[in-house]
Amino acid sequence: MSIEDNKKKHGKTLYADAWSSIRRDKLSMASLVVIVFFMLTALYGTCIYWRYNIIDAESPQMLKPLKVVVEKVLMADRVKGQVAPYQRQDLDNRYMSPSVSHVMGTDSLGRDVFQRLVQGSRIAFQVGVITSLIAIPIAVLLGCIAGYFGGWVDDVIVWLYSTFACMPTLLFIISISMVIGKGLTGVYIGIGFTTWVHLCRLIRGEVMKRKDQTYVRAAQVLGYSHARIIFRHILPNIMHIIIINFSLRFPSAIQTEVILSFLGIGAQSEPSWGLMINSARFRLWYGVWWELTFTTLAILAIVLAFNLLGDALRDALDPRLREVER
Amino acid sequence: MAKELRKKALAGVELEMRQMLKYVIRRVLYMVPTVFGVILITFALFNMAGGDPALMRLGKQAAADTMEAYDVQRGLNKPLFAGMWGRTRAYEATDFSVNAGSWSKLEGVEYAGRAKGYIVLSKTGEYEADRRLPLNPGEDYQWVVKCRLSNQGNARFLVKEGDTELASVQIPESRSFRTLRIPFVAGASEASLRSLIVIKAGSLDVTDIKIQRRVRHIFDSQFVFYISQILRFDFGVSDETNQRVSKMIKDGILPSLALTAPMFLVGLITAIVVSLICAYMRNTFLDRFFVVFSILLMSINYLVWIILGQYLFAYRLHWFPIWGFESMRFLVLPAIIGVISGLGSNIRFYRTVILDEMYCDYVRTALAKGVSKPSLLFKHVLKNAMIPILTSVVIAIPFLYTGSLLLETFFGIPGLGSMSINAINSSDFDVIRAVVFVGAMIYVVANLLTDICYAAVDPRVKLK
Repeated sequence: MSIEDNKKKHGKTLYADAWSSIRRDKLSMASLVVIVFFMLTALYGTCIYWRYNIIDAESPQMLKPLKVVVEKVLMADRVKGQVAPYQRQDLDNRYMSPSVSHVMGTDSLGRDVFQRLVQGSRIAFQVGVITSLIAIPIAVLLGCIAGYFGGWVDDVIVWLYSTFACMPTLLFIISISMVIGKGLTGVYIGIGFTTWVHLCRLIRGEVMKRKDQTYVRAAQVLGYSHARIIFRHILPNIMHIIIINFSLRFPSAIQTEVILSFLGIGAQSEPSWGLMINSARFRLWYGVWWELTFTTLAILAIVLAFNLLGDALRDALDPRLREVER
Repeated sequence: MAKELRKKALAGVELEMRQMLKYVIRRVLYMVPTVFGVILITFALFNMAGGDPALMRLGKQAAADTMEAYDVQRGLNKPLFAGMWGRTRAYEATDFSVNAGSWSKLEGVEYAGRAKGYIVLSKTGEYEADRRLPLNPGEDYQWVVKCRLSNQGNARFLVKEGDTELASVQIPESRSFRTLRIPFVAGASEASLRSLIVIKAGSLDVTDIKIQRRVRHIFDSQFVFYISQILRFDFGVSDETNQRVSKMIKDGILPSLALTAPMFLVGLITAIVVSLICAYMRNTFLDRFFVVFSILLMSINYLVWIILGQYLFAYRLHWFPIWGFESMRFLVLPAIIGVISGLGSNIRFYRTVILDEMYCDYVRTALAKGVSKPSLLFKHVLKNAMIPILTSVVIAIPFLYTGSLLLETFFGIPGLGSMSINAINSSDFDVIRAVVFVGAMIYVVANLLTDICYAAVDPRVKLK
């Protein structure tokens, strides 16, 4: 039964139902607000980043027109040659506690902590989105293939993910990003290529359960291709698993990036939250509390919001669990 | 009569034992592909994708013999998986897409630039490749030259020792680049060996020129070398400390366990107790509070726990020492921090496990029978929930071994965690590879043990 049929019969889709149950819950609504707020912050950070960096950025010939448009929109020529606000040093105003001109104070080089925090949330969102874009397609593809076809294909994929599951997580991610080279690319690839295992296992199980159901049988009898059956018929029915996984992988990706950047493997010159914590931790001992506090609070807020929302989504979208809860 | 019964019972036990043995053997065989996969992944990660380790470790200025020795020690002078030809650093392998290397010093050699990526030998005469190390007498070598000779050209590749020619190959004219292989055996009077390109007419473009050493047999490769290392429990030598990696792991494992084992036990017990309370107080304020509280605990970054804990309790309040590893007192604070930081996810997990169990039929039956709630929880539910709990415990064992990377670094505990971090900071690949590999192996073995325990408890597992 596709979602459309379901709608006609019962009037409400799974997603509409989930949405209304989330809307009723104050805690998850609050988390949603926090997430949207951080999203806007990250967007603002992205704009600032490109405003100051786009003129020097190299782009392939194909993207040149886009680059020109973005330059115009961000009015990049007005700040040409200037240092971006999050990198602007002011050695006379080092270690300033929060004030009107620097809402969250300044760091050891007199840079504005608030601006750096904004850039940090940009990086956090980049990490969450890009690692998901790597991991989720791998997991979905492999999980669907393994579950649907079974046999030796299944054996190979199970072998692959059980091998990955054996590796000590954090060290494995660190090794991958080290081999790729220090920098955010290594972090994306390191997290992306190691965190698909759990979702892949879930999807494989779900597809195995569903491949003998009548709607799949019917599609097979109609002569649809395997790809169509998997992606048009089965996948929409297990979409909720992917959504739940996405909302729960996001905060853990952010946390991992913070640790990697802290260790000096992640972001190098951009102000990632991990780098900020690293530079702030010793200054805490000399009473410079603001840098660490605000960074910590930012991480806490976004991760907490995602965890709470992810939980609410799981309760709302996974009917099996809901039955248990009753 | 009684004898017969005993006989029957014994036969039953024997059958069970045989079944069990069969299951264990089957399960161990299942392990083989996984272990192979782990070997493959660690190998692929560090040997294939890691670039040239000798260059990264020793730098560009390193002498050729040092680099050769580095390669030999780590088996890096062999082909990756299989093949007849390995690497030698006797001659420079110049990447012409970067620069012309030592070839630029020769007269008559022009560099066509990075974009084109080749050198042009335009004048007639002899060009000798710049040798840095003697070749081993009696060993097989081959030159691999990718070149093109201009029209009407006449050139050959010549390897000679004194006056005897070891190999001589005429280079054919061609419009496109062609690969030539010039095999030869290094002779006894190796010092007078010369590798020459002799041009009599025309000009020669060379895009790649390198020498290869013949290995003993087709499987004399890095991969086989790695596997044989593993079989001997020998993980090579650390670049940084020059110690054997296996010894470093042996030394580090105790301090790590001293921290992680108590941390793990206390954490486990606390989490189970709290989640039992939650399950008991289902849907009350306390339960709700713990659910949100555990998410809150989970959301605080690990780093923050450590930094704040160290600052507050060690630096400010002087309750604990800040840094070091002298007595058990030094382990208390890191252990507490470890327990608290892991508490959130543990509570959530065990609460779900216990609640899942609460909705089983046998619980309802027991309730209907009039079993009191506490005895229901502790006697019935907890016993049955033990299976998923044990699984999670076993899966956590490899993490005990790795220790806590960050905790150990922050508190100066000389375990495997801080060893790994040091290795990461100094790009000491052999150490990281060994730690990752051993961690994965412990996981595999722990999994095996759980499955065997399951089979011992639940006879249905064996028949699957």
